[in-house]
Amino acid sequence: MKMEEMSLSGLDNSKLEAIAHEIYTDLVEDACLGLCFEVHRAVKCGYFFLDDTDPDSMKDFEIVDQPGVDIFGQVYNQWKNKECVCPNCSRSIAASRFAPHLEKCLGMGRNSSRIANRRIASSNNMNKSESDQEDNDDINDNDWFYGSEKKAKKRKSDKNPNSPRRSKSLKHKNGELSSNSDPFKYSNSSGINYETLGPEELRTLLTTQCGVISEHTKKMCTRSLRCPQHTDEQRRAVRVYFLGPSAPLPEAEGSVENDSFDVAESQALMSRLQWDGSSDLSPSDSASSKTSTNNSESRKTKKKKPHLSLVGAAPGLSSNKKKKPKPPAPPTPSIYDDIN
Amino acid sequence: MMSTYNISKMNKDAQMRATINQKLIETGERERLKELLRAKLIECGWKDQLKAHCKDVIKEKGLEHVTVDDLVAEITPKGRGSWGTDRLGRKRNEVDVKTKTSTLVPDSVKKELLQRIRTFLAQHASL
Repeated sequence: MKMEEMSLSGLDNSKLEAIAHEIYTDLVEDACLGLCFEVHRAVKCGYFFLDDTDPDSMKDFEIVDQPGVDIFGQVYNQWKNKECVCPNCSRSIAASRFAPHLEKCLGMGRNSSRIANRRIASSNNMNKSESDQEDNDDINDNDWFYGSEKKAKKRKSDKNPNSPRRSKSLKHKNGELSSNSDPFKYSNSSGINYETLGPEELRTLLTTQCGVISEHTKKMCTRSLRCPQHTDEQRRAVRVYFLGPSAPLPEAEGSVENDSFDVAESQALMSRLQWDGSSDLSPSDSASSKTSTNNSESRKTKKKKPHLSLVGAAPGLSSNKKKKPKPPAPPTPSIYDDIN
Repeated sequence: MMSTYNISKMNKDAQMRATINQKLIETGERERLKELLRAKLIECGWKDQLKAHCKDVIKEKGLEHVTVDDLVAEITPKGRGSWGTDRLGRKRNEVDVKTKTSTLVPDSVKKELLQRIRTFLAQHASL
């Protein structure tokens, strides 16, 4: 043993190298032999060709390597314009907007759940006017509508100035204005603080958008003239208030249903009277809230029994209110109760 | 032990090789090297390539008539590296010379293995 080791240490480098290579080949041949045994066993046991399929089906599953398609040969942006149908309101919404819509429609999230709960309550209980009144504050909600699907679709095509994508300029303006406004005003509201607007601005504003003043935020609605959150009567009242009685309600007249026109007329008249009568009050809160409550009432009657409101309710209401400039408030729990 | 061998140079070499091989096995280094080589060869696709070649051979000879010897004869020259002589010092045959250009074992694997063998030899030579 000792001698062998000595002889081993006495080897020169080239010999060591040759031995190393020999060992290496030995190992590789061992590996080859192992593979041969493995394959032979597989062949004899009959499982060697198991993972093979016929070439036709192999062709079906070939990996596609072409520009514009994925490895299965499918066009990979085919889901880009996928639309989802909302299970709640059965409108079809672009997939990218579906989650935000669901949030509002089903009422998840902080704000929307309150809003949605109110709506559910109001749709169950139609003569609860509270919810209707507070609908005026749902400026941020673009997705939900009282009306049928038809109405909603119509509105969808409208230009909605309150939509987050289109309202950049307005928001900017609003942000500027709200910096010097009262501290109790909601700074994050998307309405317009009408108190700081000049007359020309007011006029152009009112000819292009709804403009109804929310009794909650004291700001103007920045949606289109056909905004479904507010009635035509409310819009008319605001225009009368800002531009004088001669100011017409532009365009939107046509959308009012014929059978309720009497009501709308009388409402407008009445609200005008109210403006005169209650001039000592701050116009922003009392007047607008009253008009809105009245209007909500009229909306209710419109919805439920259109002919009744034509014959019985409307004349009675208007005559009643004409006598008393300050009518007893309709049985609506005020939203101020909630606030204070 | 020594008396059974001639003192000629050839026999001395053969004896030394036998000793080294014995040491490789005794220390378990040979087993470790084999395991390493196997893993590396699977990793680099050597095994798959040879398996594909096996398939061709088997299809050619017929599933029933394939023997281990056939496979070894076909596979070993292909799977082996690019050396001029095999273990016993014989010249390679025609097929080997052809495959010499397309060595399946990657150089990195070969180098790593050789390095380990060299260190092993160095360790046991310095004892």
